[in-house]
Amino acid sequence: MADKKKVLVIGGGFSGLTAAVETAEAGSDVVIVEKSPFLGGRVAQLNKYFPKLCPPNCGLEINFKRIKNNADITFYTLAEVESVTGQEGNFNVTLKVNPRFVNDKCTGCNACTEACPVEMPNEFNFGLDKTKAAYINHNQTFPFKYVIDGKHCKGKACAKCVEACKYGAIDLDMQPETVSLNVAAIVIATGWESYDISKLDNLGGGRVKNVITNMQMERLAAQSGPTGGKILRPSDGKEPKNIAFVQCAGSRDENHLPYCSYICCMASLKQATYLREQYPDSKVRIFYIDIRTPGRYEQFYWKVKEDPEITLTKGKVARITEASNGDVELVVEDVMAGKKITEKYDMVVLAAGMVPSTKDSKIPGEISYTHEGFVVPAYLKKGMFAVGSVKSPVDVAKSVQDATGVAIKTIQSARR
Amino acid sequence: MADATVVKPDLDFVKGVIAAGGESLKKCYQCATCSVVCNLTPDENPFPRKEMVWAQWGLKEKFQGNPDVWLCHQCNDCTAYCPRGAKPGEVLGAIRKQTIKQYSSPGVLVDIVNNKSLMPLIFLLPAILIGVILSVMGTFKIHDGEVIFAKFAPTIFLQAVFTPALIFGLAVGIMGMRRFWDDMKRANKAFSGDLNGSIVAMLKEFLSHDRFKKCGVSADRSTSHLLVFYGFVAAAIATAIGVLYIDVLGMESPFRFGYGTPVKIFGNLGALGIIAGVLFMMSNRFSNAEKLGAGSYFDWLLISVIAIVGISGFLAQLLRVAGVAPIAYPVYFIHLVFVFSLFIYLPFSKLAHMFYRGAALTFLKYSGRETQ
Amino acid sequence: MEKKYGVYLCKGCGIGESVDIEKLKKRAALKGKVPAELIKEHEVLCGPEGLELLKNDIKEGVNTLIIGACSPRAKTEEFKFPGTITERVNLREFVAWTSEPMSADAQSLADDYMVMGIIKAQKGDLPEPTILPDLSSTILVVGGGTAGLSAALEAAKAGYQVVLVEKEAELGGWGAKLYKETPRQHPFEKLEEPKVFDKIKEVESNSNIKVYKSSVIEKTDGQPGLLDVTIRKNGNSETVKVGAVVMATGWKPYDPSKLEHLGYGKPNVITNVQMEEMAKKGKIIRPSDGKEAKKVAFIQCAGSRDANHLPYCSSFCCATSLKQAKYVREKNDDAIAMIFYKDIRTPGQTELFYKNMQNDPGVLLTKAEVTGISDGLNGNLYVEADNTLLGEKIKVEADLVVLATGIVPSTRAPQEYLDGLTEAGKKGDEAKKVYLESTQKPEFILNLAYKQGPEIPTLENAYGFADSGFICFQYETRRTGIYAAGCVKQPMTMADATEDAAGAALKAIQSVEHVAKGIAVHPRAWDVTFPDPLMIKCTSCKRCTEECPFSAIEEDEKGTPFYKLNRCRRCGTCMGACPERIVSFKDFSVDMVGSMIKSVEVDEDEFRVIVLACENDAYPALDSAAIKRIKLNHKVRIIPVRCLGSMNLVWVSDGFSRGIDGMMLLGCKYGENYQCHFIKGSELANYRFSKVKETLDKLQLESDRCQLVQVAINEYDKLPQMINDFVERIEEIGPNPFKEF
Repeated sequence: MADKKKVLVIGGGFSGLTAAVETAEAGSDVVIVEKSPFLGGRVAQLNKYFPKLCPPNCGLEINFKRIKNNADITFYTLAEVESVTGQEGNFNVTLKVNPRFVNDKCTGCNACTEACPVEMPNEFNFGLDKTKAAYINHNQTFPFKYVIDGKHCKGKACAKCVEACKYGAIDLDMQPETVSLNVAAIVIATGWESYDISKLDNLGGGRVKNVITNMQMERLAAQSGPTGGKILRPSDGKEPKNIAFVQCAGSRDENHLPYCSYICCMASLKQATYLREQYPDSKVRIFYIDIRTPGRYEQFYWKVKEDPEITLTKGKVARITEASNGDVELVVEDVMAGKKITEKYDMVVLAAGMVPSTKDSKIPGEISYTHEGFVVPAYLKKGMFAVGSVKSPVDVAKSVQDATGVAIKTIQSARR
Repeated sequence: MADATVVKPDLDFVKGVIAAGGESLKKCYQCATCSVVCNLTPDENPFPRKEMVWAQWGLKEKFQGNPDVWLCHQCNDCTAYCPRGAKPGEVLGAIRKQTIKQYSSPGVLVDIVNNKSLMPLIFLLPAILIGVILSVMGTFKIHDGEVIFAKFAPTIFLQAVFTPALIFGLAVGIMGMRRFWDDMKRANKAFSGDLNGSIVAMLKEFLSHDRFKKCGVSADRSTSHLLVFYGFVAAAIATAIGVLYIDVLGMESPFRFGYGTPVKIFGNLGALGIIAGVLFMMSNRFSNAEKLGAGSYFDWLLISVIAIVGISGFLAQLLRVAGVAPIAYPVYFIHLVFVFSLFIYLPFSKLAHMFYRGAALTFLKYSGRETQ
Repeated sequence: MEKKYGVYLCKGCGIGESVDIEKLKKRAALKGKVPAELIKEHEVLCGPEGLELLKNDIKEGVNTLIIGACSPRAKTEEFKFPGTITERVNLREFVAWTSEPMSADAQSLADDYMVMGIIKAQKGDLPEPTILPDLSSTILVVGGGTAGLSAALEAAKAGYQVVLVEKEAELGGWGAKLYKETPRQHPFEKLEEPKVFDKIKEVESNSNIKVYKSSVIEKTDGQPGLLDVTIRKNGNSETVKVGAVVMATGWKPYDPSKLEHLGYGKPNVITNVQMEEMAKKGKIIRPSDGKEAKKVAFIQCAGSRDANHLPYCSSFCCATSLKQAKYVREKNDDAIAMIFYKDIRTPGQTELFYKNMQNDPGVLLTKAEVTGISDGLNGNLYVEADNTLLGEKIKVEADLVVLATGIVPSTRAPQEYLDGLTEAGKKGDEAKKVYLESTQKPEFILNLAYKQGPEIPTLENAYGFADSGFICFQYETRRTGIYAAGCVKQPMTMADATEDAAGAALKAIQSVEHVAKGIAVHPRAWDVTFPDPLMIKCTSCKRCTEECPFSAIEEDEKGTPFYKLNRCRRCGTCMGACPERIVSFKDFSVDMVGSMIKSVEVDEDEFRVIVLACENDAYPALDSAAIKRIKLNHKVRIIPVRCLGSMNLVWVSDGFSRGIDGMMLLGCKYGENYQCHFIKGSELANYRFSKVKETLDKLQLESDRCQLVQVAINEYDKLPQMINDFVERIEEIGPNPFKEF
């Protein structure tokens, strides 16, 4: 089939990858557009999945392998969609591909990172540590090709990496490129961002040192994270032994995110196991409004609850302040006991909610969004589809179901 | 374990609270943010979370002798942080209104005070009453010459009409307060305590507004309340001196220019306090309206009455001094009408909070729920 | 294919600085028996010039390439040359980045790896797909509820023929029995009319879909692309040929008669299903006297989230009760609906539905542990509850109680029956007979004529749900070409079931498309190889038929196994299981790996340990350790395998008889939360491993010399140390006495 119609997938996170791979394995050509330098999205940042407590990189590895072994899938990293016109079967899309400053000759040898004198906050680790301006985000990443951060790199004035690279892989003159595509269908899978906790003024507003987000917790617990997987509190590197989880930090809250972010209950229960496994003498307390562990996730909840050092208390934490020695003080009503309690913890984890990436960066084309920035699927043009958390907060499992389901719709569009 | 408590939901009570300004009541999902952000609540059985669920279920007996709804000063920290827009501050306000209705007899007057469409009556009835009496007395007109309000409303009239109105208001209020007190004792099984000490402690706290000052997002409200309160105190003292001089001692009015200046100044400061305070209240409510809600009709009625009392009183005085008789007398008449309203509706309007909140705060100490 | 070899050594990324390339060339030529002139070196093989070199050689006729460069995980696309055998030798990660440069150890590692690579290429062959004749691409959908209808429609719209089988007389399932539906979309304000009727119309008018109502499946025989499905309708049977199956047979409500403690059995206690029926009929009334119900209590988690009943959450009951509370209120403004919940579960945007439904004066909610339902006057009831928001222990009067009963997947009963049968079978034929006679056989769904049983195995410890064991791959089942969708898989809402059904339909389509090309389906969806047994040597021991995780091997009347190739996932478990070692793939065989092991240079003074690493997890983990430049023990030689399930015990004896001192088997985690992509691979390897002791005993060797380790992909930081520990243990035991031979 010489002129197989293509399907465009916007977003290279797990939803996008799934939509792409499943579509391609059903026989269509697929193009993935990813805004960041690497594929994998949020899943690459997770330490373990709930409820299996298995490593997310395992599934990513398989999907990367499926991409490597499938000539029908191509992808652009550092790329954004600039315009979308046309209709089902015949969308014209232009992409802006930002420079990587590293070309295909890169072998992944790490010489550029070693040579690079510039340090910058490591976004992959949510600012918990620093990375060089020439870097890869983690060692199981894909594409396994370094990138130079255009914002932080000092450019030709420095060029130490150019000197260090034996393979001529670095090109600091690289310019943004425009790519035009004609596609039959478009899948929007641009995922989510963590809610900005600085907006939660009563919960410390991001200023209390040892109050971290659930996503930061994932990085702290991950082997590829800033501490090599050892959970240490940020301010002084102390081993936190007494930790509180604050559920619905931003979620189910009209002042912030009126919806439930779906994953946070399971995520906190899971993270409690990280702590308990790493520090057998630790204590964890989870404060919640409702524990939401739908379906068989309930079993995971039961398992975690069995641990006598993990307590769950109904009540929303509504005040967090900094205490002495880096400790954190919180106030909550233990609803079932009818008691307002003030307690100190070594570290507090905010179960920060999910914000669709389309809240702040809209996709070109005529797309309807809810107040909160979610794409409303019913109002999408024929041939355009939304999957995963850009549509509604979901976990990986539901994203996979959704993305696989959308693949059949893309092939319908491509075959029409 | 104790026997199960039989819970009897009363849909009418729910609807009542909703109608009384608690439209947001049903939005509450019991997260307890409100209890946490409230700086005024005790730690044990904190409010307003539990009051919200009781009201949602229409458990009216829970509000029988419930001091907690009166511990709430409607700072609205809860409302500001409520994740559901359930506005516990407003809801508790609505519940307090229901309590006033329950304890002040005849309770139907609370409904009248509350019925927007009946608003004109609130002022028309006193206006007619005062107008008729003064007409009968023949003083209901614009008098020539120097503006002297005693010509318009002789002292005897004031004594005969206003004093009973005030006594009625206070008596009904105090009676309600007593019943409330007894209910509190029963509901909370607190039958003994240091009553005098508790009253003193309550007064101390009240005079300094220490409790009210703990409000977070609307901290200014305690200041405005303080201004209005002390404004009234000053005005009342000035009036009392007047009564003492004129009625009791038969002396010359202490407000006369010259030797009466200190009392005059004192009274005027009070009036200014009331005006400034009430304007401050208004601006506070407007500026926070989006976040905290502007308040209910019940609230605004009282604020408006106080504002009119303050402004009309002060204006009447200015006009009197300026000698603009054609305006001075009507303004004074308005002043009298509104003061009368204030007195007569004392136990039925929001002003009744002075009785119930006073009792609740005293009970808080009396029962040991909050140590001094 | 006549092989024309080319061996290429890349010197980039530190390889050139780590080993003496000249020496390596000589060694490879000598041991690999490759003419020295065919061995070429290049500074950067993956660079434009390097690739040019390779492409030119291929043009010149080279068709078997051994590339000593980086890991096969890197530069995969660059080094892909269709029509050739291309063997990648991992000199970069396993030598240059993980050992002392220019040391004898590094040199010896590189030598061994190159030789192994050459041997692998020599032993292998260029695979060609096998495509079975007369394939069908028709999709069978079992179940005509929301999920089934959606799957049928989506597949039909994608251009496939669909056969839809529904056991009831009408399509629609539970969706057709609802009075109103919970909204699926923003702003979640109003109850909606059931959508299923439009779908039924669409299905019934779609010419690609053939609907069988009041029908059940008598038998499903064959393999993907070639499934003969016998459908029984009104006593008549008809066989249709299909390519793949979507199983959307849904759920049954939990049996309320087991909920006596919640008052079921009392006249005015009904279930949420009965509530729908009643609302659909008109008024909400009390069954006892037909009076309009004014105080309706909803008891959440009636059976669900309960260790004595259903230990899972049924996912939609909270939203359903909120919806039904609205029915109560809609029909009577004086009525109240009281909801007693453990937690309100309206995840995601459904939270907005909760908020909207709750905002009604007559909808009352409290968290509660309902302890019982007792009788009041006039048929009224008291709901008794502890730990409520209204007090510690309360009693509330209701005139109607609705139990929010949960769901039981339709797959549960057959699975339990079959499990019981297996258990009984273990106790002997008599016990089995008794079981068959005494146990009522539930309705089966697919009636597969498969060696390993008539239904798709449900997920273990999943209470009968035919769920996937993977988070990342939601459509994994152990019967290739058969995909579950909807509530038979997980408790889910109708909105979710609609999406899920589309996904299952897609997987079914992939399955028929892949068998048409002769390639495997997930997780080796690119693989054209297949197991090719040398049947002449088969002893009919049936190990393969028993162990195959996908029931891909059947037995003929004589008990001789034969493959149903389209069911095969190419994991190689049969290859590992076969004691006669007769199963081979073109690029992976017992002999191939055995020869590689045997090629490892064994020195009397040096310890040598073979590591067999699962290529899905352990191998990437080793690579990742290398990327972190964590030193790997230079005494080990790593050989990737498709799945540890493909490990044949002969490799162990091969190794030890040749003087290897230890063998370490790296597989995925198995058990409840297994990570094995072939479900049972590493578990079966472990089962076989338990027999290693016998093998070692035969060789009079210490059983500690062989160890199976479960390792996850992210344990790369620990893995090198785990290997070191193992090597240390071997050193303690001492050298393999067979070295001397």
